[in-house]
Amino acid sequence: MRHPRHIRNMAVIAHVDHGKTTLTDSLLARAGMIAATQAGDKRATDTRPDEQEKGITIKSTVVSLYYQVDKQVLTHVSESPTVSNEFLVNLVDSPGHVDFSPEVTAALRITDGAMVVVDAISGVCVQTETVLRQALAERIKPVLVINKVDRAIFEKQLEPEELFQSLKAVVDKVNAVVSTYSEDDSPMGSLLLDPCLGNVVFASGLHGWAFGLRNFARRYSAKFKVPEDKLMKRLWGNSFYDPKTRKWSQVQTDGSVRGFNKFILEPLMMLLRASKAGEVEQTSQLLTKLDLHLSAEEMEEAGGKNLMRMAMKHWLPAADAMLEMIITCLPSPALAQTYRTQCLYEGPLDDAAAVAMCNCDPEGPLMMYVSKMVPASDKGRFYAVGRVFSGVVSSGLNVRIMGPDYKPDSGKSKDLYLKKLSGVKLLMGATVGSLEEAPCGSIVGLVGVDKYLAKTGTITTFEHAHNIKVLKFSVSPVVRAAVDVVKPSDLAKLVEGMRRLSKSDPMVQCTTDGGQYVVAGAGELHLEICLKDLELVHAGVPIKKSEPIVRYCETVSSPSDRVCLAKSGNKLNRLYMSAAPLPDGLPEAIDEAVVSASQKVKERAHFLSENFAFDPNEAHKIWCFGPNGSGPNMLLDTSFAVQHMQDIRDAVVAGFQWATSEGVLCEETMRGVRINLTDATIHSDPAHRGGGQIIPTTRRAIFASMLTAQPRLLEPVFLVEVQCTDDVIGGAMGVIAHRRGQIVEEVHQADSPLCIIRAHMPVNEGFGFTEELRGSTGGKAFPQCVFDHWQVMPGDPLEPSSRAGVIVSQVRQRKGLSVSAPGLDNYLDKL
Amino acid sequence: MASTSAFSSADDVVDRRLTVVPQSATDASDLPVRYETARCCGWIQDRNFQKVALQFPDELLVDAAAVQWEIQKMVTASVFILGDTSYGSCCVDEVAAEHYQADCIIHFGPTCLSPTRRLPVLYVLFAQPVDTQDAADQFQVLFPDQQSKVILMADTVYHHAVEPLFQRLKESYTNVVSSYLRFPDSDSSSHDEIKEDSKDAVPQEERSSCDHCKCNRHFHLPQDSCLDEYSIFYIGSEGLALTNLMMTLNRCAFFTYCPCSRTGRKETLNVNKALMKRYYMIERAKDASIVGIVVGTLGVAHTQDMISYLKTLLRSAGKKSYTFVVGKLNPAKLGNFMEVDVFVLVACPQNSLLDSREFYRPIVTPFEMDVACNQAREWTGDYVTDFLQLLPGAAHHIPMQMAVPDSTDVSLISNKLRSMGQRTTAEGDDQGSTAVVLRSEAMAVTTVSAETAGEFLSARSWRGLERKLGETPVEKAKEGRSGIALGYENEPQ
Repeated sequence: MRHPRHIRNMAVIAHVDHGKTTLTDSLLARAGMIAATQAGDKRATDTRPDEQEKGITIKSTVVSLYYQVDKQVLTHVSESPTVSNEFLVNLVDSPGHVDFSPEVTAALRITDGAMVVVDAISGVCVQTETVLRQALAERIKPVLVINKVDRAIFEKQLEPEELFQSLKAVVDKVNAVVSTYSEDDSPMGSLLLDPCLGNVVFASGLHGWAFGLRNFARRYSAKFKVPEDKLMKRLWGNSFYDPKTRKWSQVQTDGSVRGFNKFILEPLMMLLRASKAGEVEQTSQLLTKLDLHLSAEEMEEAGGKNLMRMAMKHWLPAADAMLEMIITCLPSPALAQTYRTQCLYEGPLDDAAAVAMCNCDPEGPLMMYVSKMVPASDKGRFYAVGRVFSGVVSSGLNVRIMGPDYKPDSGKSKDLYLKKLSGVKLLMGATVGSLEEAPCGSIVGLVGVDKYLAKTGTITTFEHAHNIKVLKFSVSPVVRAAVDVVKPSDLAKLVEGMRRLSKSDPMVQCTTDGGQYVVAGAGELHLEICLKDLELVHAGVPIKKSEPIVRYCETVSSPSDRVCLAKSGNKLNRLYMSAAPLPDGLPEAIDEAVVSASQKVKERAHFLSENFAFDPNEAHKIWCFGPNGSGPNMLLDTSFAVQHMQDIRDAVVAGFQWATSEGVLCEETMRGVRINLTDATIHSDPAHRGGGQIIPTTRRAIFASMLTAQPRLLEPVFLVEVQCTDDVIGGAMGVIAHRRGQIVEEVHQADSPLCIIRAHMPVNEGFGFTEELRGSTGGKAFPQCVFDHWQVMPGDPLEPSSRAGVIVSQVRQRKGLSVSAPGLDNYLDKL
Repeated sequence: MASTSAFSSADDVVDRRLTVVPQSATDASDLPVRYETARCCGWIQDRNFQKVALQFPDELLVDAAAVQWEIQKMVTASVFILGDTSYGSCCVDEVAAEHYQADCIIHFGPTCLSPTRRLPVLYVLFAQPVDTQDAADQFQVLFPDQQSKVILMADTVYHHAVEPLFQRLKESYTNVVSSYLRFPDSDSSSHDEIKEDSKDAVPQEERSSCDHCKCNRHFHLPQDSCLDEYSIFYIGSEGLALTNLMMTLNRCAFFTYCPCSRTGRKETLNVNKALMKRYYMIERAKDASIVGIVVGTLGVAHTQDMISYLKTLLRSAGKKSYTFVVGKLNPAKLGNFMEVDVFVLVACPQNSLLDSREFYRPIVTPFEMDVACNQAREWTGDYVTDFLQLLPGAAHHIPMQMAVPDSTDVSLISNKLRSMGQRTTAEGDDQGSTAVVLRSEAMAVTTVSAETAGEFLSARSWRGLERKLGETPVEKAKEGRSGIALGYENEPQ
C-alpha cells in the first residue's frame, strides 16, 4: 500500500448541489469511516456546523481511505505492476459554489485525478465547466459520475430510451468541455470519457447505488460467453440486440432494442420500481434472479422507502463502482508525476528535485507542496496540508520551508525557514491520526510549519530546490468589508484573528490600509462566511462590520492636456510629466504577467510595439511598473539628453510606486495609466537631488498629470451566469437590467428547457442579487458571479454630483480624507 | 541645525519664510501683566542667576525685545533671547540656552511641561482671560445631570480658570473633580510658587492611591470610582495638547469649552478610529526591517535613555536602526533616507503624534514601536504618548521580552510572512557586521543575513561616481564650489 502505484489522489469536483459530498459519503462508508446506513445523509466531509446547516460545502476536506479491492478489479488497472490488492485513496471533497473555487484550486494541486459529478437532470452547469477547466490546466485526469439518475427515472418519468439520450447528452457535453480546454496531444493520454472505457459511472448518491458498464458486463459475460471488454462496448451507444435472433447489430432494426436499455435500464428500473413500491416479494424475486439474497427479516425491517435503498445498495453498491473507476482509470502518483512535474516545478527540469519528482522517488530529496491550512485542535494553529511529490516526510525531519518570495541560490534567506517538523498527520475528515512518516505520493498534514507559511509554500530537504509554482486562482477578492471592534482594547485580538483568517482560507485577503481593517473575498457568500469565522472563531471578540464595499481603481481616459511641472521642495529640481491611458488589453496582459518587469527589455519592447503599437524607442525606456513594481501602470522616460537623469531614477521610481498605490482621486490604486517623464531639470549637486526632494515631487507631478488627463474611476464587473428555465427568463433579465447589467448572450440548450444568460454586471450592484433573483423567479434561476474585468464608471469623478463623484467622496470619507478630491493647484507648479 | 546651516548662507536665512502668523505686538503698558515680568525678576533675584535665557514661541517673538528690555531694566543678570526653537516651541530648549552658558531659562507661552535635564526653568503660562461665568453656563448645558462625573482640565494658558470654575460648580455638581498642573520637578526650587498654590487645592491627606496624573495634569478621584466613568471638561481650543489628552484618556468622553469663541461642545473625534489608525502604524512598524530613530527634542530629560532603549529594543527585535537628528521634521528631510522603512520619533508628548500622511515613510511613536517589538507588551487599548512612561522604572514600563528567534507572523499590509525576532541565518553562519556589503570580484553581492541600508544601496541602480582607481592621473586638489545651491558662485551661468 505504501507503494506509489497503490495510491490514488483524487478530488471530487462539480457544480454546487450536484452531490459531491453525498457521493463521498458512500466512499467513506466503504472504508469503514462512517456507518453504511448513514451514507448519503451524514455528509461526513462537511465538518463545519455551518456547512451542515446550510447544506453546502465551504472548505475542501481531505480524507485518506484505505481499501482492499477484489482481485478481478486488479486485472483492469491500467498501470502495472500491482503488488497487492490494497489501495490508499486520498480523497478531497471540494465545494461547488463559485465563491469557494480557490478551495478547488488548492485541492486540485495536491491530487492527480478528479471525479467530476454531474447532475443527470440539470446537466453540465457553469461551475462544472469552470472546475473542469481548472483541472485540465493542472493536468488532472477527469472521470465522470452522473448523479441523481433515480430522479430522472422517478421524477421525470423518463422512458429507457429518453433516459439513455439524456445521459448520452451529458457525457457528450462533458467531452465537449474536456476537448475545449485540454491541451493538444495531452501527456495524460486520451481524455475521452466513455462508459465503454469504464470512466463513466451512473449513480444515485442519496440512495447509495452506482454502476458502470463493467458491473453489468461482468454479470452478463458468463451468460453470453463474450469477454467483458467486448461486451461493454455493446452495452452503450448504437448497439442493438434483437431478442428473436439473439444477434447484435449496429443499426436498429424492427424489434431490436438498444443494449443499454435492454440489459441495464430494464432490470434497473424494474427493481427500482418494485422496491420503491415496497413490494417485498417481487423485490426478493428480482434479487434472487441476480443471485443476491436478502433475508426476509432484513427486508421486513427495512420496509417502505428503505427497501429500495437496501436492495439497491446490495445490488449495486455506489462505493464499489466508483472505487473501481478510481482505481482503474485514475493515474497513480507515479504515473501522474511524470507529466505533471514540468508544469509544477519552477526550477530546471534536470536538477535533483525535478528528477525525483518526475520519478516519484522515495529515495530522492523531499519535495512537498502545501496548498492549504486546516485548523488544528490547538486554537490558532493549523495543519499544513500538502502533497509529497518525492522523498519521505517524517516527524523530526529538518526541512527548508520556502514561501512564494523565496529566490533559490540568491544567497538570501528571504521567505526561507529551516525548521524541524514536529509531526505528520493522516487526515480523516474531521479527525486526524498520527503518522511516523509518509512517502511520496501521499497527502498529509504537517505540524509545526504553519507559522512559517503565509498560505502556501514548498517544503524540501534539497538545498538548491526551487519553488513549486504558486496556485493561480480563477476568481479575485473584489468584495470587501471594513471591520471594526466595539472596544478598542479588542483591537489586538481582531488583528490576530485577521491573521488567522488569512491563513485558513486560500483566497481571503485581510489587510489594513491607513487604519481601516478590510477583509476581502471572492463574493458575497465567501465574505459572509469569512466575517463569521473571524468574529466567532479567529478573533473571538464582537466585531462591527460594514456593508460590503467594492474596490475601485483610478485611471485616466485621455492624454494629459498639458505637460505638468512640479518643482522640488528646494526649488532646485523640476520634473515635467504627462499621463495617458494604456492601450486596451495591456493592463490585463500585465496582470497575467505576459508583460512584466522581469522580462528582458528587448523582448518586452518588441512585444509591446508588435501588439500594442508602442513606439519602439519608448518601449525600450520603461523605467518600471507599479504599484509594487509589477502593477498595471507604467513609467516611461521619454526625455532626451537630460543630465543626471539616471541618478534620480530610483527616487522617481519610488515616487511612482507611492503615487500608483494611492492615487489622487481617493487614494485607491491606479490602473492602466502610463506616465511619461518628458523632461527634467536636475540639480548638479547630489546633495540637492536626494530622495527627499525627488520623491514628493514625482508624486505631485504624477497627480497633476492624472488630473489633467480626465481621470476616471474603474469599477469591477462580474460575469454573471444565470441558469434558469425558459419561463422565468423575462424575470431574470429584468433583475439584471435593473442592476445596470448588460446581457452578453442567451444560450438555449438543445435538449433541455434550461437556458443560460450571460451578462456583465458591476460588482457594486451584485450585493443581494442572488436573493432578488431567487425571489423574482420563484427560485427557478441560479446565478453565479465571477469577477471578470474592470470597467470605466461613467461620469467625471471630479464633478461631485456625478455618479463617480459621489463614489469618490464616499471613499474619501471612509478613509478619513477631506470630502472632495484635491484640486490641480495643489500639485501643479508654475515655471 | 548643523546639517542645514552648512549649506545656507546668511542671505538664505533672511529669505526663508516662517509659517507662523505673528501676532501684533503687545502694548507696552500690557507687557508687565501679560508676561509677568515682576514675577520673573523676583525669581531671578531670589536665586541670584547671572545669565538668563528667555524662550518665546515663534508667534510671540515680536514682543521678545520689549520683554527682554523690561526684565533687563530690573535685574543685574544678563538677559538674552533664544531664537526660534529647533523643535516644538512647547519644549524648553536647554541646548540652545547652554550655547550661551545660561544658568536658567524662562519659558513663555504654551508648554508641554516635559521635565528638563539640568537648568532651572520658570514657566510663564501667558494666561489668557476666561469668562468663568460663561464657562459654567456652558457646563450646565453640556451636563444637565447634576450627578455627572466630570474632571475639569484646561490648556496651560487657561489653566488658571480651572479652580474658579470648580468653586462655582462644586455647589451644584457633587461629582466634579478639579485638576492642577504638575510642573516638572527637575529642580523643585524653580517653581514652588505655583506648586504651593496647587497644594492648597488638594489637601495633603487626600493624596491617596486614587491620585491620577495624566499628561502632567493631576487630579484626585474618590476611592471607589474609576477613571473610565468620568467625562472630561476641557477649557481650550483644538490643538496638540487636546489630541494628546484624548489619546491618553481614550476611554473618557470629551467636552470642550473654547474661551475665544465662547462655545462648548462634545468632541466628536472618533477615538476608536484614531486608535485604529495608530494600530495600523504598529503594523507598519512590525513590517519594517530598517528603522530610523528621529530625535525630535533634546530638551526633555531622558531623551538619551529613550534612544538607547529603542536601539536595544530594535536590535533584539532583529531590526536595524539608524539615528537621525534633523531639527524640525519635514517630508523632504526624511525622504532623503529612502532605505528606512519606518521612523520612530522621540519627542515630547504633544509633538509625538504626527500625521505622517505627507511623509514618504510613516512616523510612529516610541510606544507604538514598543508594542510592535516587545512581545511582553499587550495591546490593552491604553495609549501612552509620553515616552518617559515607557522607560525602566516608570508606570508603563514593561520589561523587554523578545520573540523567540525566527518567530513569524503574517503582515496585514503585504499579506506576506515576516519574521519577528532575530533571524538565525538559513546557512547557520553569522555574517557579523552586515552594515558593509562585500562585493565579490564579479560585482555580485555576497550573503547578507539581515536587510540593511547597505544592502539597499547595493541594489540601487545609481551607485555614485565611478572611482576608476589607478586609471586617472594624480592631480593637485582644486578649490571646489562655494555658495548656495540655488547658484554656486563659480558655477557657469
